[in-house]
Amino acid sequence: MSEAGLVWSLLVGLLAVNLLVSVYGIIYGRSLTKKLISLTIFSDTVYVFFIMVGYRLVYPTVPPVYVELTRDQLEYLAKHAVDPVPQALVLTGIVIGMAVNALIGFGIIQAYRLKKTVTARELVGFEEVE
Amino acid sequence: MGRRLLGLVLVYSLALALALVVYATGSLQPPHEIKRLGVFYVEETFFGNMTAMSPEAVTAIVWDYRGLDTVYETAVFFLAVVAGLAVFRVSKTPPLKRGVGLTEISRTSTKIVAALIVVVSASIALHGHLTPGGGFQGGSTLAIAPLLVIPIFSYYALLARRLTPGLLVTLRGLALTAIGLVALLPVFKGLEVVTNIRFYPAYILGQLVSGSLFLYNSSEYIAVASGFAAVFLYLSFEEEFHEEERGEDHE
Repeated sequence: MSEAGLVWSLLVGLLAVNLLVSVYGIIYGRSLTKKLISLTIFSDTVYVFFIMVGYRLVYPTVPPVYVELTRDQLEYLAKHAVDPVPQALVLTGIVIGMAVNALIGFGIIQAYRLKKTVTARELVGFEEVE
Repeated sequence: MGRRLLGLVLVYSLALALALVVYATGSLQPPHEIKRLGVFYVEETFFGNMTAMSPEAVTAIVWDYRGLDTVYETAVFFLAVVAGLAVFRVSKTPPLKRGVGLTEISRTSTKIVAALIVVVSASIALHGHLTPGGGFQGGSTLAIAPLLVIPIFSYYALLARRLTPGLLVTLRGLALTAIGLVALLPVFKGLEVVTNIRFYPAYILGQLVSGSLFLYNSSEYIAVASGFAAVFLYLSFEEEFHEEERGEDHE
């Protein structure tokens, strides 16, 4: 039981709810653009989870970067640095996510040009009910 | 509107409740240690037997230990942008107009900010193997400069300075070819693809360049920046121009 534990639990709770909200947005969002925005929120939430996995609670927590190239620094980093692996994975994830989002964005623009609408129900031929 | 607000309040009280339950059980605590694999990379990145000669562990993982992944990732990103540009393909650029854009105040401040963006992005990319940052981060920062110029000066300012989509796509192709070459060159000496320190020198003229990491970062910097700039430029053309282009395509 500690302050760090409370902050940690709060972060987990909020991220879990963020995931729920974004999944809701992806399924129930009427416009394709809103679905895309929900998708980006979903992936960003997953990235924050990733970064959380690599965190460590020591004082001070430092990034895995050598400030000076000495053996002392190596020992210091082994004790204090956060995990570099999730950071590298998130970097890859962001690039791939950006590529996918850009592609979906182009698709949405093209759909609008051809059908003059980006509402999912209208695109597949259903009348908009409201 | 009321229902939406109620939904939000409900959802975030759920989050709070979840957090309090998790906290009360005490099952979730931030870890004091990182995984063995993470420690391995931190220890090996500069001093170990499997060194990448980079003081920055994340760049070392991205372009050395998991370099093949990143080369494929670059390919995915390249294909996505190519697919987007295929949808937006135009055979020519719109005719130039004069006297468009915002006021003198915003123009002058944009000039200063754009110059700063170029310097900062180059620093992020070229020091990618020493400090946090790298080719992708620097490239996406540099792409903000044309994105800023387009609304303030209009895209004619870019086109008048010969910064056409054609040139940007060519630059991107060249930079990606450079990445491919850097990855493939060690093969001719009988080493694996994406070999780093066994093929490329760690120091050039006494400066730490971490072998291929510097080459990858600088190529990726140009590739990402020109790719994004081309996309922004295509997106900024008026819809009427695109319609005209498509009409000509159909004939």
